Amino acid sequence: MTETLPAKRLSEVSLNEWCRIDRLEGPREDCERLLDLGFTPGEEIIVTHAAPLGDPLVIRVRGALLALRKREAAWILVE
Amino acid sequence: MTTRLSEVESQTRELTLCLVGMPNSGKTTLMNAITGGNFRTANYPGVTVSLLRGKSKAEFGPALSIVDLPGVHSPVAPSPEEELACRVIEGNHARVRPDAFVLVADATQLERHLKFAGFVAKQGKPLVVALTMIDILRRMDQSVDVEKLAAALGVPVVPVDPRSGEGVAELVKTVHKFASAPPVGSALARIPDEPVSAFKVIRDLLQGSHAVRRVSRLSGLTDSHTTRIDRIVLHRYWGFPVFFLVLVSLFAAIFWAAQPFVDAIDAGFSMAGDLVVRVFPESIIARFIGEGVIGGVGAVAVFFPQIMILFFLMTLLEDSGYLARGATLVDRPLSYLGLHGRSFVPMLSGFACAIPAVLAARAIPARRERILTIWIIPLMSCSARLPVYALLLAALLPGAAWSAGLSLAGIYVGSLLIASLTAGLASRLVFSYRKPSLLAMELPVYRTPRWKPILRMTWARGSSYLRRAGVPIMTVSACLWLLSNFGYVPKAFVAPAKMEGSFAAQLGQKMEPMLRPMGVDWRVGVGLISAFAAREVFVSSMAIVFHVDADNDQTAQAGLLQQMRTATFPGTSQMIFTPSSIFGLIVFFFFSLQCFSTVAVVRKETNSWRLAGTQLAFYTGLGYVLAVASVQALRALGVA
Ligand SMILES: Nc1nc2c(ncn2[C@@H]2O[C@H](COP(=O)(O)OP(=O)(O)OP(=O)(O)O)[C@@H](O)[C@H]2O)c(=O)[nH]1
Ligand SMILES: [Mg+2]
Repeated sequence: MTETLPAKRLSEVSLNEWCRIDRLEGPREDCERLLDLGFTPGEEIIVTHAAPLGDPLVIRVRGALLALRKREAAWILVE
Repeated sequence: MTTRLSEVESQTRELTLCLVGMPNSGKTTLMNAITGGNFRTANYPGVTVSLLRGKSKAEFGPALSIVDLPGVHSPVAPSPEEELACRVIEGNHARVRPDAFVLVADATQLERHLKFAGFVAKQGKPLVVALTMIDILRRMDQSVDVEKLAAALGVPVVPVDPRSGEGVAELVKTVHKFASAPPVGSALARIPDEPVSAFKVIRDLLQGSHAVRRVSRLSGLTDSHTTRIDRIVLHRYWGFPVFFLVLVSLFAAIFWAAQPFVDAIDAGFSMAGDLVVRVFPESIIARFIGEGVIGGVGAVAVFFPQIMILFFLMTLLEDSGYLARGATLVDRPLSYLGLHGRSFVPMLSGFACAIPAVLAARAIPARRERILTIWIIPLMSCSARLPVYALLLAALLPGAAWSAGLSLAGIYVGSLLIASLTAGLASRLVFSYRKPSLLAMELPVYRTPRWKPILRMTWARGSSYLRRAGVPIMTVSACLWLLSNFGYVPKAFVAPAKMEGSFAAQLGQKMEPMLRPMGVDWRVGVGLISAFAAREVFVSSMAIVFHVDADNDQTAQAGLLQQMRTATFPGTSQMIFTPSSIFGLIVFFFFSLQCFSTVAVVRKETNSWRLAGTQLAFYTGLGYVLAVASVQALRALGVA
């Protein structure tokens, strides 16, 4: 893991702040599915809501609203 | 001979058209528009979990055989219903061989939906794109130029609104035109498999063709309507209170909203029963029809309005778009229990009926979470228990309708809690607890309910309920009436016998030792056994074994309650239906799995007789043990 790059985890960005996906780091199959759902590097996304317990997060990507758990959002590194 | 020949000919020429696309794009709504069918649709991704078949309506020209597939988010790591759809698309399904595809794409999410279109286009079959949700696109200040889009993709594109039927005729015409033409390599088919470059190619196609227009630079990012509602529904503090308010008002409304209809149906059946007995006085046949058939069926039928209201409210809720939010809200607690956010909808539909609920569990990606969901579904208080609870609550709490309504809501919420507890225990003790599967749940935009389709859907669900429950109720009531009115005495077969000497009594008394600890006698036991045909049958059995006469001036329901209130153990003055024994019966029905159709569908979905059998024995045994325990505990505490 190269943690030195200026990338943040999506689970840590604040609400309603546009960010650009840098890369995905996580279980291979899950990341492949996330890519297929539209979370591709370079894409701009925004966290629009957080459910009452702070988890899951609701994310706008390519015109869709998708709910991801915090631990899944942490696989998405953004800049 | 000629007709047969042309029949064969038309059969061989009938094309199989598959409706494919991502979840919640409107495939089933389109299916209903093309075939005139009444398949279930809802504003929630993952409603259709099996293949739905139909024939195109005559008005659309030569008949097409239409197959609606489950929606597919992604062919990567599919859940069972997605895998089924992919198998059909790739031509690997044993029975369904698609000749052409209609790809149903949501115009507000073109990039994602076209990505999937690429997968379909690669199969080399004729493909027509049906563009739905144009009205929502307009709400977001955007528009699509259909001709430019078609030119860019290299396949025909037809805008439709499957809810109103607008554009559907045009779509079918286009299919007829292109289905026989050999497919030419389209831009869609050239979209790469690898997602990063695929999305890049799609964006270039869309931007290069100027097919999508935004009115202003900022418009079209969100549907403002949806954002506003979500701000409350997913609010940090308000989210859960709103969630519970929705659920409790759903369940409480069942009771009070139905009361006037209940009274009307009750009066109707009582009159019919009366009439038969009065027209043919003293005739055994008339008593059979009046008490056994009309009385038995009527005892359950009075609760039909409550079931219809439950179906209506569930359909309304499903159509609004709230379900996906509810599933998101409870994902965290459910994951803690070893379930998945997607378990919420199967659990909720378990309140209507366990059978579709078990099927709905297919949309849960991981097998372990799916099995656990199926394991707890029978605990959800299904509509078949509604008449039973309604009767028992009316007996327990005479008078106040609101307290019965609240108690009913309590039973429902209680069944959710107990199911959660069971799941939590089972996930830790039985299934080894592992990391949860991906959530990635799509939240659709909110839609304003359309009354006509909602009422149609409610009616479709209600009438299929009647068909399923009606036959066992009628047969069991009739048989039970005969069994409890005829008997065998050593020398001769007697008719009519007194209740105590009847066949039913002779059979029932054998189980008396099992029933005494529950605080009831063999007559209630006969009801409990007959409830294995269908839970509602308990109510009609009570009406028959406690001899509710058709010829007094009370309505049937009041008569049954009156009988229950005065019933005593034979030969004593000890009451049967006391608060403790009624409570025990509620506990029994709460847990026990008295539904063989559920056992059959669980076996089919899990492919395991062992699991289905264990579930039956476990819940029914648990119900009995807990019923006995609660009756004895209440009595020890001094409750009668
Ligand atoms: N506003 C709008 N709503 C639509 C349109 N087409 C369908 N709907 C609604 O979209 C929702 C989803 O429709 P379904 O037909 O159940 O979707 P599906 O593609 O079969 O979904 P799955 O079975 O989950 O794959 C329903 O609430 C429909 O009423 C449309 O053109 N405009
Ligand atoms: Mg569908």
